[in-house]
Amino acid sequence: MSKDLRSYLAELEQHWPDASLRIGREVDPREFHVSAVLQHLENRGDQRVVRFHKSRDLEGRPTDFSLAYNLFVTRELCARAIGLAPADAKMPLSLEFSRREAKRIEPEIVPPSRAPVKEVVRTSRDVDLSRVPMFRYHEQDIGFYLTMVAVMKDSEENFYDVSFCKNLYVSPKRLTVSLQRKLHKHLLNIVEKNEERDRETPVAMVIGHHPAFYLGAGALTTFGNDDYGTIGSFLDEPVRLTPSETLGEDFLVPADAEMIVEGIIPPHSAEIENPFGEFSRYYQPQVAVPYVDVTAITFRRDAIVQGIFPGHPGHFNLGSIPKEGSLYREIKRVFPGVQAVHMPHSGVGRYSCYVSIKKRREEDGKLVGTVPHVFTNQLQFVVVVDDDVDVFNEQEVIWAAVTRARFDKDINFMKGMPRSDRVIIDATVPFNEPFPRKAVVPREALEACVLEEWIDHGKAVGAAPSARKGKHVGS
Amino acid sequence: MSVREDIFWVACPKCGEKFYCDVQLRHGLIKLMCPKCHHRFLDSESPQIIE
Repeated sequence: MSKDLRSYLAELEQHWPDASLRIGREVDPREFHVSAVLQHLENRGDQRVVRFHKSRDLEGRPTDFSLAYNLFVTRELCARAIGLAPADAKMPLSLEFSRREAKRIEPEIVPPSRAPVKEVVRTSRDVDLSRVPMFRYHEQDIGFYLTMVAVMKDSEENFYDVSFCKNLYVSPKRLTVSLQRKLHKHLLNIVEKNEERDRETPVAMVIGHHPAFYLGAGALTTFGNDDYGTIGSFLDEPVRLTPSETLGEDFLVPADAEMIVEGIIPPHSAEIENPFGEFSRYYQPQVAVPYVDVTAITFRRDAIVQGIFPGHPGHFNLGSIPKEGSLYREIKRVFPGVQAVHMPHSGVGRYSCYVSIKKRREEDGKLVGTVPHVFTNQLQFVVVVDDDVDVFNEQEVIWAAVTRARFDKDINFMKGMPRSDRVIIDATVPFNEPFPRKAVVPREALEACVLEEWIDHGKAVGAAPSARKGKHVGS
Repeated sequence: MSVREDIFWVACPKCGEKFYCDVQLRHGLIKLMCPKCHHRFLDSESPQIIE
C-alpha cells in the first residue's frame, strides 16, 4: 500500500496513541472553531496531531469531510514522518532532511481507476468550492484559506514544481494563488514564463497527503528540479501520480492525495488577498496576486482536509528543518568544526539561527556567523556558541550570549542589507583573555547515577500532611 | 517576507476598519478590500491613510 495521509494517521494511532487527539464536535469555518481549539491546546503545551471528525462547509452545511491539523507541530512528529526515531529529532533530523534533498526516487504513474483521489470527481458546473472546508484562523484574516501546496509544470523544461502556497476563497469557482514574489520564486517563475507568451498556467492544489510528501515539498531545491522525485525521496518510495482531470493527460497529480483542486491561472490575472496571519505572527499586508479559475475538484469520499495553523509551531518547523541541514552543510564547507545548527521557534523558524562550533581560532565565531546570512535571505540574527552549548536549548544559547559575548566587540552587523542590517553575535569563549570555567557536575558521577534507582516512589519523605498538622516549622 | 514590509495603513470608508496594504497597491487601479465588511474601494477613497 502506498503512503498517504490516512495510512500515516492509522499508523500513528496504532504505534503512538498518545500523539493524536480526536475532536468529535462539529466545527464551523465561519466561527474560528479550528483556530480556537488549536490555540487552547498550544497554550496548555499540548502538541498532539488533531483530528476534527466533523466539519461544516463555508455556507454552514454539514459535510462528509474531516480535518487534520498539527502534523508538523513537533520535531518528533516530523522525524517520525520520514521514518526516524523521535530521539533523532534534533540535528540528525536536519541532516537526514539534507540527505533526502539530494536524492531522488522517480514517480510511478497509475491510471485514474487506481487513484483514490478520483473516487469523486466534480467538474464544470459541479465545481463548488464553498462545499470544501476552508478556514479563517486569525481575527483580521480577510477570508477562508487553504494552506497546503500547489503543483505547476514547466512545459518547456518538463519538470514539476511543488511549493507551499496558500489560497483564498474568492467564489465557488475561484481561488487566489498567493504568489508573493519574495516567497514563491519557483512557482512565480513558471507563471511569468507563461505570461510572457500570453499563456495560461495550469495548477493543482494538493489538500491532504502523507506528511513526508509536504516535508519533501518544503525541501530547498533549485528551480528546474522535478519536485516529485525529491518528494519520493522523503516518502522513501515513488509518489504515485495520475493524469489530471481537466489540465490534460500529461499534467500529473498525486494519486494518493485526499483532495486535488485543479484550475487555470489566466495570464496577468490579479485579485486582492490578505490580511492573513502568516508565519511571522503578523498579518501579511493586502496585496494583489494571481487567481485560479477552478476547473475540477477530485477527492476521496470521506476526504481528510489537511491544514496548517499559520504562525504557530508546525509552521515554524516547516521553515526551520529544511534550512538547518542545508546551512550545516554550507558552513561545513568552509568551517569543518561546525557541530549543530538550529533555527528556533522564537525566530519563527526563519529569522534567527544558532550555530555551535568547536572553536580553534579567536575569529572563528565571527566568521562562521556570516555564512548563514549568505544562504538564507530571511535571516536577521545569528548567534554562534561553543560546542558545550545545546543550540536546541534556547535558554543555554542566551546564557552563552549574556555571559560570553562582550557586547562592545562581539555584536557585529552586516550593513547595507535590505530593510535592516543583519546581526551576528559571537557568544564563544574568548581565547585571548582569561575567562572563567563553566561549572558542571562531574561526568563520572552523572554516568554512575541511574536516576530511577535513586528516586523513592513511595510517599515523599516528611510530606504526610497529618504528621505536620498544627506544627509550624521553626516555631 | 520580512516583518518590515513596505506598507501603508488605510481606513475603510464604509466601516472604519483599519488595515495595511503593500505599497504596490498605493495609487493603483485595483480596489482594496476591507477585511471586516468586504467593501471594495480605491485607496483614494479612504478617509485616512498613514504611510
